[in-house]
Amino acid sequence: MIFKDAFKTATHSISHGKMRSILTMLGIVIGIASVIILMSIGQSAQSLILNQVESIGSNLIIIMPGAPSNGKFSSPASARGVVITSLRQNDINALEREPSISAVTSLVNGQASAIYGNNNVSVSYQGTTADMFSIRNLSIGEGFQFSKADVDSANHVAVIGPDLATTLFGPYVDPINKTIRLKNVSFRIVGLLAKGGIGAFGVDQGNTVIIPSTVAQNELLGISYFNAILVEANPQYDVNFVKSRISFILQQDHGITNPNQDDFSIETQADILSILGTITSVLTLFLAAIASISLVVGGIGIMNIMLVAVTERTREIGLRKAVGATNRDILEQFLIESILLTFAGGVIGIAIGAGVVGLIYFVLSTFFSIGWVFAFPISAVILGLVVSGITGIAFGIYPARQAARKNPIDALRYE
Amino acid sequence: MIEVKDLKKEYLEEDTSTQALRGVTFSIKEGEFVSIMGPSGSGKSTLLHILSFLDRPSGGSYKFYDRSIDDMTDQELAHVRNKDMGFVFQSFNLLSRLTVYENVEIPLLYSDIPPVKREKLIEEAIKSVGLEEKLYTEAAKLSGGQKQRVAIARALVTDPNVIFADEPTGNLDSQSGLQVMKILESLHHKGHTVVLVTHETQTAEFANRIIRIKDGLIESEQLITPNYVLRGALK
Repeated sequence: MIFKDAFKTATHSISHGKMRSILTMLGIVIGIASVIILMSIGQSAQSLILNQVESIGSNLIIIMPGAPSNGKFSSPASARGVVITSLRQNDINALEREPSISAVTSLVNGQASAIYGNNNVSVSYQGTTADMFSIRNLSIGEGFQFSKADVDSANHVAVIGPDLATTLFGPYVDPINKTIRLKNVSFRIVGLLAKGGIGAFGVDQGNTVIIPSTVAQNELLGISYFNAILVEANPQYDVNFVKSRISFILQQDHGITNPNQDDFSIETQADILSILGTITSVLTLFLAAIASISLVVGGIGIMNIMLVAVTERTREIGLRKAVGATNRDILEQFLIESILLTFAGGVIGIAIGAGVVGLIYFVLSTFFSIGWVFAFPISAVILGLVVSGITGIAFGIYPARQAARKNPIDALRYE
Repeated sequence: MIEVKDLKKEYLEEDTSTQALRGVTFSIKEGEFVSIMGPSGSGKSTLLHILSFLDRPSGGSYKFYDRSIDDMTDQELAHVRNKDMGFVFQSFNLLSRLTVYENVEIPLLYSDIPPVKREKLIEEAIKSVGLEEKLYTEAAKLSGGQKQRVAIARALVTDPNVIFADEPTGNLDSQSGLQVMKILESLHHKGHTVVLVTHETQTAEFANRIIRIKDGLIESEQLITPNYVLRGALK
C-alpha cells in the first residue's frame, strides 16, 4: 500500500468520527500546550531575571561576608541567614584606595514597618552610601538622592520606591519632604526612585526605602558590620583582575594567609548571571517535565481509543486482509491514524500555547507594567511536534500491532 | 488450477480438538464453476477458507497454480489473494461509511496497479454489476441485493482468476439472490473460475459441478447440466 493511500484511509477514518477524534486529541492538545506555555514562561522569566541582573552593570562586584562556597549552587553562609560580621568600614576604606576600583559602597538591610499617619506598610530598607545610586544605576524619578554628607552626618533622610509612595501617601500627594517612620526613627523623604521593577538581590525597588548606612547601622540595626559591599570596577581594568585585587586587599586587611580560609566571597555580575541562568534553565526544564506528564496521560488516551477502534473495526481488518492487505499494511494504517491524531493535537496545542503566551505577555505588560519578555522558543515548537509524533508512535504501536495480528477468518466472523 | 490432496483441518480449543476436514481430495480446473454443498457444520466453509488462502490446512496438501500453500509466506498469500482471488461473503462485508466507489477501490489499495489506472477499473467493475448510478452512494444506504452486487464488483476489480463466494445469497431475498447468481454465472462465462459454497440446492445448481461434503469428508462429486429452467426464469 502506498503512503498516499494509507494516509487517505487514515484521514477518512479519523474524519468519520470527528467528535471522538477531537476528544481523543484533547489530551495531547492540553499536554503540548502546557509544555509550550511553561517552556515559554520559563524562558521569559529567565530573560526578565537576567535582564534585571544585567541592568546592575557588568562591572559590578559584590562582596558578601562568609567563606565562598565550593559548589556552584550553594551560597555563602551569610546569604543563608548566618550572621557574619567580617565586612567593616576599614575594608571600605582599603578598597577605596585601590586604583582598579571606581567606587565602593556598603550595604546593610533589614525589615521594618514604614509608617506615615495611619498608614503602615512592611518594607525592606537598605542602608547604604550615596555611591549606591551610581553603582546600581538607580534613577531618581523625583527629588534627589541623599549625599555623602548626609551619610557622614547620619542625617535622617530617605529615598523611597514609587509604589511605596503611592501606598503611604496616595496617588495625588507629593511625598518629597514628607516624614515617615521606621522603627520609631523619622526620615525625611528627599527622593523618589523611578519606576523599575524587581532589582538585584530580589529587592522590590518599587517598595524599598534607601537610607544612609550610618543611620541604618547605628539607629535601626545596632551593628557595626555590613551585609555586603558593592564595588564598581574601573572600566580600564578587567573585572577578574579587580576581583583578584579585592581578594588580595581583603585578605591583607583581615590577616588571612591561607586563601581557603577567606571570610568573604566575591561575586561578579557574570558569576550571578551564570548561576541564575543555570537555575532558571533547570526550573524551565522542571516545569516542562511536569507538563509532559499530561502528555503521557494524553498518549494513554490515544492508545485507549485506538484499542477500542481496533476492536470496533475487527471486521474491516478481516476484510482488508482478505482482499490482500498484509500485516504491515494494517499496522501502518492504524499507526498513521494515531500519529495523525497526536500530530494534529500537537499543532493545535502549539497554536493554543502561542495564544496563551501572547495573552500572558499582553496582560503582564499592559496591566502590570512588568517588563515581561515575549518568548516563544522555536525549540519548544519543534519539541512539541516531535514529541506529539513520538507519542503517536509510542502509544499507537500496541493497538496497531493488535490490529495487524488479527486472523482474517476470526476477524471476518467477529460480531 | 486447484489441487487438494487429503486435506485436513483440525481446530484445537483448550483440551478438545475438532476435525473440520478429515482428508479431502479433489481438483478444480481453470474456468470451472464448482459448488461446494453441505449442511451446517459439514466443513464446507472451512474448505473455502483454505482454498482462498484465508486459512492454512493442518494436514494434506493444497496447490494453487502448482504452488503449495505450505511453501508460501503470509505475505505471499496476501499477494495471491489480492491478485488472483476475489471474495464474495454472505454478509457482504462492505465498509458502510464508504461510498460504493471507495468500497470497490479497497483491493486496489493493496495491489500493484498504479492509482491513475484505478478509476477506470472501478467504474467498469461497478458497471458490470449494474450499479453505475450508485457510484458515490454510501454503502449503508444500499439494499441487501445492491450491497452484494457491490461486493461482487469489489471481487472483480482486480480481474482475479478465481472468485470464491461463501453463501452469497444467504442474506438475500430470492429475487436479489437470483440476480447475484446470474452475475456470478456471467463471470463464469467470461472465463473466471467460480467456487461457490452454499447449502441451497437451487443456488448450487448454477454450477457445472457440485461437490457434496459431510462431516469433513467428500460425500459425492457430481457433474451437472446447469439449471436452464431457473436461468430462463431470470430472463
